[in-house]
Amino acid sequence: MADRLFAGLMLVVAVAYAAVATKIQTSFLGDPVGPKLFPIGIATAAAIACLFIIFKPTADTTWPDLPTFARILVALAILITYTYLLKPLGFVIPTALVAGGLSFLIAGHVVRSALTGVGLAIGLYVVFRFLLGLSLLGFPKSWFGV
Amino acid sequence: MDTISLLMQGFDVALTPTNLMLAVAGCIIGTIVGALPGLGPSNGVALLIPLAFSMGLDATESLVLMTSVYYGAMYGGRISSILLNVPGDEPALMTTLDGYPMAKQGRAGDALVLSGVASFVGAFLATIGLMFLAPTLAQVAYLFGPAEYFALYLLAFSTLGGLASKSQAKAVLASCIGLGIAMIGLDNFSGMPRLTGGSMHLMDGVDFLVAIVGLFAITEVFVFIESHGKESSIGVTLNKITIPIKEILGSTVTMLRSTVIGFIAGILPGAGASLGSFLAYSAEKSIAKDKETFGTGNPKGVAAPEAGNNAAAGGALVPMLTLGVPGSGTTAVLLALLMTLNITPGPLLFEERPEVVWGLIAALLIANVMLLVLNVPLVKLFVKILMVPPRVLLPGVTMVSFVGIYSLSGSSFDLLLMIGFGVLGYVLRKLDIPTVPIILGILLGNHMEDSLRRAMVVSGGEWQYLFSSWIAIVLWIAAMVGFTAPLFLRNLIKKPTAHDH
Amino acid sequence: MKLKMQQLVAGISLSVGLIGTSFAAECIAPANPGGGWDFTCRTIGKIMYDIGAVADPVQVTNMAGAGGGLAYTHVVNERNDDGDLIVAASSATATRLAQNAYGGMTADQVRFLGAIGADPGVIVVAKDSPHQTLTDLLDAIKADPASVAFAGGSAAGGFDHLKALMALNRVGYTDIRSVKYIGVDSGADAITQTIGGFTQAMTGDISEAVGFIKSGDVRVLAVFTDERLPGEFSNIPTAKEQGVDVVAVNWRGLYVPKGIDQADYDKWSDALAKVAASQEWADAMTANGLAPFTKVGDDFQTYLDGVIAEVQTMSKELGVIQ
Repeated sequence: MADRLFAGLMLVVAVAYAAVATKIQTSFLGDPVGPKLFPIGIATAAAIACLFIIFKPTADTTWPDLPTFARILVALAILITYTYLLKPLGFVIPTALVAGGLSFLIAGHVVRSALTGVGLAIGLYVVFRFLLGLSLLGFPKSWFGV
Repeated sequence: MDTISLLMQGFDVALTPTNLMLAVAGCIIGTIVGALPGLGPSNGVALLIPLAFSMGLDATESLVLMTSVYYGAMYGGRISSILLNVPGDEPALMTTLDGYPMAKQGRAGDALVLSGVASFVGAFLATIGLMFLAPTLAQVAYLFGPAEYFALYLLAFSTLGGLASKSQAKAVLASCIGLGIAMIGLDNFSGMPRLTGGSMHLMDGVDFLVAIVGLFAITEVFVFIESHGKESSIGVTLNKITIPIKEILGSTVTMLRSTVIGFIAGILPGAGASLGSFLAYSAEKSIAKDKETFGTGNPKGVAAPEAGNNAAAGGALVPMLTLGVPGSGTTAVLLALLMTLNITPGPLLFEERPEVVWGLIAALLIANVMLLVLNVPLVKLFVKILMVPPRVLLPGVTMVSFVGIYSLSGSSFDLLLMIGFGVLGYVLRKLDIPTVPIILGILLGNHMEDSLRRAMVVSGGEWQYLFSSWIAIVLWIAAMVGFTAPLFLRNLIKKPTAHDH
Repeated sequence: MKLKMQQLVAGISLSVGLIGTSFAAECIAPANPGGGWDFTCRTIGKIMYDIGAVADPVQVTNMAGAGGGLAYTHVVNERNDDGDLIVAASSATATRLAQNAYGGMTADQVRFLGAIGADPGVIVVAKDSPHQTLTDLLDAIKADPASVAFAGGSAAGGFDHLKALMALNRVGYTDIRSVKYIGVDSGADAITQTIGGFTQAMTGDISEAVGFIKSGDVRVLAVFTDERLPGEFSNIPTAKEQGVDVVAVNWRGLYVPKGIDQADYDKWSDALAKVAASQEWADAMTANGLAPFTKVGDDFQTYLDGVIAEVQTMSKELGVIQ
């Protein structure tokens, strides 16, 4: 069932993709193939593959139970929050929070998770900033009086 | 002067205490950079170029450092592939397929030693090939025009179906997803944006590193949480680590075959190490008697892509040195380094600057031996990564992935995209749809399209042009057969490789 | 285990302790390594550091795509206030901007810093090509446009493409759309395709062809300069002396983001002027067939405005833009 659902969804995506592709602007100097053929061809191939899957689905999938699913959603939320915190807060603080949070989700031990978070944040910062020389902002800019 | 005495001169130049130290440092840095998800050989080399200048290294010293980093990263990529199911960089992608299952079975040590030896064989033989045949092999690049490249990419995609264990339709769908993503961004031909939905962030297209890290590392977070660690290698028990003599001897022929395939893929500009490892793997799978064991921890499935990608790394140096055309992202950076050192690669490089060329070749051989010596004993250390408790390891890998992507592009859009790929990867994993074809689609999609469009411009829209040379025809037949009847692929894969010598 | 990891990390930090060096400045080359923009970044960046015009080595990033459009978009949208960024530019950049080929981006969205050298345009054929002179080649196209395909390092409609079209325009051939041209990733790629016989001529800059000219794999039909080049390339005829009045040099220069401080702008113009005056740059120009061409700061901006207007007129005349 899951197979069919996903294939059905991808079929819709493929049709939409092809529809968008027909509207691609062509430029002043055309080539015989043009910028539309490939996207439309790919969408067609994808649609055919989807139809195959819909008619001949393979073994069904077992999905996680509700509490587990909730934990996955929490993990997802944590990761998304992280991307928004990185720029304003620098690397170390959000990393400590997020790594600690993930650790807690996995092991469920507050103190150890907190230690893991802080340890990883500082350790990775040192490795990336000083060992590999990547330009990485460690702490909020305001801390440096900017 | 014959090749051997030239090589001896090269060793004379390369074997100084300073150079040996640089080689050790380069190998270690390269291995680490290669093993970290999101950072690959090109980043490693690019990051170190300014270092070479600030240390005031001369031409040979810089080359020794860079080639050690280059080969080190090629070796290092496999470590995270095998241990964590997260490819350290794109050429190590194929190694996840059998390397990770081996690790799950407690044979992480075997897989690491075997892949280390395979890497050595691939890289070493490729360097020998470079040494004796480079000027001749450069001619191969002249044989590949738009039509031939298109057929080559078509061959790669046609064999993708063989990757999926159960459903070919699923593999096709997966490669279409990858190809569809590759189309996003400014069109190389007309400079017009395609399928960006007006988003400026998508003008540059989707970086394959974002996709790799998302589909592998981020997906792993969700899978781990769901299975409470049962379906993850993190925390597995380890068998005693020994040298897997049986597996090594059993894959000798595999390694040699993969080296030839990888080397040729490397020589062709634009194909590169990923294609080399992929073609080596699918060729090996299609001629194996025990096909169904590929993907479940077959040692040959580890040896083939590693020999293939390292041979391709060596092969890619051929067009770089003799034509000034880089065969891959990493050789592109090495080429840039040479140019900054006022060495202009081209048809005359071997005659005009023999000390540079032979110093480089000697450096490659030294780096290789050093990596083998470093890597086999270090396997014990690497597998200990698995003994780090999951509550530390999993967040650690996740954070490394974020930093890898963030520090390279500095864009939070890429991070969100990466998480999106993580979710997609989770759904695909649940549905048993392979993710490898998606990456290959993103990696090779634009090359394939550009080749076709160039072919059509050159020929004035004549489709027959696509079959106008024997190379193109052989590749087309191989592609057809590869898609319809993987059984016959054996003979056809062998033929073109034999001809090219 | 922990101890061993620490030892490993300690060992690495010892061996790479010098990595602490900061990469203060970055130069974006909007093409793959091996082409003109890449040369600009590598050479100017290295000389700036060598002569002490900048304190730290300049890190070079290659950002290929859409004839420089990807890098331009990136700079305007994401790096607009980055005072540590310089970007390689050339006639191709101006051409694409003039033709509105960077997706609506305009030349006033960045600040042009200056140009310090020019790379003469060339038309190159394989050594076994039947075409001996530029006129031969142009006549062949006039007789049968399908018989000759050009390869070049710029996208369709770009500077390399325009050079070939301009030459055809001068000999009275105006059916622009029938001229075959493929844009490949770099000038070196274009030469490889031409030697391989997949395309019949390469249009590009002389620096992209130097290695192949010396090895005898290719023959230069014409160089697009007023006078013949000095030194070892003096045997190459100009297009002008063959009756094809085209002068097209590819100036090599830099632009910086629009939103940077005036102080940063001045810092970079000073550094660029120092490079222009250095012996190292003179040597690099000689080795790569570049001719001196120094315009820095406002002087350059004025020059550029003129060039953009001219290319626009020309492109319309040629039918490349409507």
